[in-house]
Amino acid sequence: MPAELIPLKILVAGGFGVGKTTLVRAVSEIPPLLTEEAMTSASDGVDDTAAVPDKRTTTVAMDFGRITVDDTLVVYLFGTPGQQRFWFMWDELARGCVGAVVLVDLRRIDDSFAAVDYFESRRVPFIIGLNDFPDTEQHAPDDVREALALAPDVPVVRMDARSSDSGIRVLVTLVEHALARAEARRALAY
Amino acid sequence: MTDASRHDGRVVPVYAVTGGRTRAGDHDLPIEAMVTAAASPDAVDDLQPEYRTILDLARTPVGLVEVAANLGVPVGVARVLVSDLAEAGHIAVHAPGYSDGPPPQILARLLDGLRAR
Repeated sequence: MPAELIPLKILVAGGFGVGKTTLVRAVSEIPPLLTEEAMTSASDGVDDTAAVPDKRTTTVAMDFGRITVDDTLVVYLFGTPGQQRFWFMWDELARGCVGAVVLVDLRRIDDSFAAVDYFESRRVPFIIGLNDFPDTEQHAPDDVREALALAPDVPVVRMDARSSDSGIRVLVTLVEHALARAEARRALAY
Repeated sequence: MTDASRHDGRVVPVYAVTGGRTRAGDHDLPIEAMVTAAASPDAVDDLQPEYRTILDLARTPVGLVEVAANLGVPVGVARVLVSDLAEAGHIAVHAPGYSDGPPPQILARLLDGLRAR
């Protein structure tokens, strides 16, 4: 009897076009796959600042990838829309997850506020990945920390979402952070 | 946005496959759930094609989201179909269901595995 399989999940968040899909594909062992989650939500394509209460069923495309870690441990990566109007699907994704990588485009740091806020309020471990676009200024990670009002223990790392090695290093940083948090929580419980 | 016709010439709306159900009983499978076939598709009579496909995919462990992507249906639909097969005993479901995140020993194993890459 083989040992029981343990599937885990890691979320990849961030604003539109920040490199979520690129990161998921760079580290995944399966070909890029897209699935859809059907849901009732405000009409798609509506500008965030002009939310229209037009409830209807829509679908949201969701990228996912997979990493088989060892004989029984498997990690699914989900890259999903980071805008606030998709938060209802984040609740399901975030439940029981290892943690989240919030990708930041240095030209549009503000786009990542919503995701940071979400994970902080739900106590989901997260790290910030500064995706290096060729024409970005060389912000120091400390500037980004200040701009996003991050807690001191939240790791901020530079990365290249196109690189598998870089992507794996980011995931290692996230899991180190999640493990430290889980151990601290356990210590507090005694 | 759902264009059902683009998937393998499907002419029946996806929700017709599930009899209109969009919820999979009391316990929704988590999105990271994996399944393994307990029966071969040929050993089960009168299965709809979608169920056969799932049993075929699940000869080796496969994720709920992979089932959805392969069938070209939303995750909610795949969840209903997978739950049907699980209730009938045709597949085993693997889902640890950590409500508060994985425990430290599992995270440590994950870390070891990722560092070895």
